[in-house]
Amino acid sequence: MSANIREIQTTDYDRDVLGANEPVVVDFFSTECPPCEALAPKYEAVAAQFEGRVQFLKVFRQGNRELAAKLGVTSSPTLIFFKGGKEVGNRLTGDIKRSDIKAAVEALLV
Amino acid sequence: MAEKFDLVVVGAGPAGLTAALYAARARLRTIVLDEGLPGGQVKTTHKVSNYPGFPEDVKGSELALLFAKQAERFGARIARAIEITDMDLAAKDKRFVLDEEEEIVAPAVIVATGAKPRPLGIPGETEFRGRGLSYCATCDGAYFEGKNIHVVGGGNSAVEESLFLTQFAESVTIIHQFDQFQAEAGTAKEALENPKIKVLWSHEPRAFLGDASVERLRVENLKTHEMHELGTDGVFVFVGMVPRTELLKGVVPLDKWGCVETDESMATAVPGLYAAGDIRAKKFRQITTAVADGTIAALAVQKFLRESRS
Repeated sequence: MSANIREIQTTDYDRDVLGANEPVVVDFFSTECPPCEALAPKYEAVAAQFEGRVQFLKVFRQGNRELAAKLGVTSSPTLIFFKGGKEVGNRLTGDIKRSDIKAAVEALLV
Repeated sequence: MAEKFDLVVVGAGPAGLTAALYAARARLRTIVLDEGLPGGQVKTTHKVSNYPGFPEDVKGSELALLFAKQAERFGARIARAIEITDMDLAAKDKRFVLDEEEEIVAPAVIVATGAKPRPLGIPGETEFRGRGLSYCATCDGAYFEGKNIHVVGGGNSAVEESLFLTQFAESVTIIHQFDQFQAEAGTAKEALENPKIKVLWSHEPRAFLGDASVERLRVENLKTHEMHELGTDGVFVFVGMVPRTELLKGVVPLDKWGCVETDESMATAVPGLYAAGDIRAKKFRQITTAVADGTIAALAVQKFLRESRS
């Protein structure tokens, strides 16, 4: 994982997602999930582009089932966008394009 | 400066990777572009039982890897997880811009972008995608451990993926519009004998309902036209595929299903532009027919390049 992306656990959620100063993107991923593997390099590329302005986090679903359930995440990968501790915009799931991530992140900065 | 290739293959499924294998073996400078990882629909198929050479079932993800490995062994380059941000397919030198950065050109292109799951087109489908509604059992099956879920469809994919989902789910109820499966007899029998699988025949979904995620499914009994609602923990939809021909709109003629028309050598109406695999207008769509298309397209490209150079 690149330096621009941090993996967090359920216990970090309140502080790192809801309490963050910058907008946050959370990627729920699983193992044995081809679209998750396909997303990883695109997520890293976009994270590098927005370094310092937006936080890019990852949550391993198998290790954080309750958090996934609490957020109603039932698909991997799922990207959720947060601003000021609140979920904003539409979630992205399945085969996600790099340009879709970029557009969603740009919308966070408006 | 644009990097030059002899052949650009768009889509790294069975058709595209086979085309790349043949082209690379013929010493053509070949690049395969894919939005994700190689394998196409095969990589999310949990097992493949009808691909020759594998007397035991092979995992789709493994077969996908093997296809890619074989093409790369002969020098084909596979560009993974890239997005085509601009292109010109009509010109003699066909041009692609990748991720707004890299530019490549080639005199020949094989479009093998395949197909994607057909949506049901009913209320709630867009809102609940990823919130209890899925089109990929291998990706999302594990989210439904011990749950009571529904599968929509009755063809090979629906029935095979239902069997796969019984590993996780407490119960799988298949909702099918007809009163028997369209799946192969052996698979259908296995499903009907599985204690975790129930079938609701002659029903069709009409809406996904719920608060934050899918909680209920409204279905219509096609015989009585009565509507009722079923409680559910999740729904998987396998009702066929639609061709991914976005790249070719306005470039080549598409038939009424959106498929690309080609001649016997996979050539489209545009010189140097070929189509192979599930995006082609044809009757049957199998891994074996996709690899056949890819082979033919690559051989036709070799001939095209020889003739256009002479």
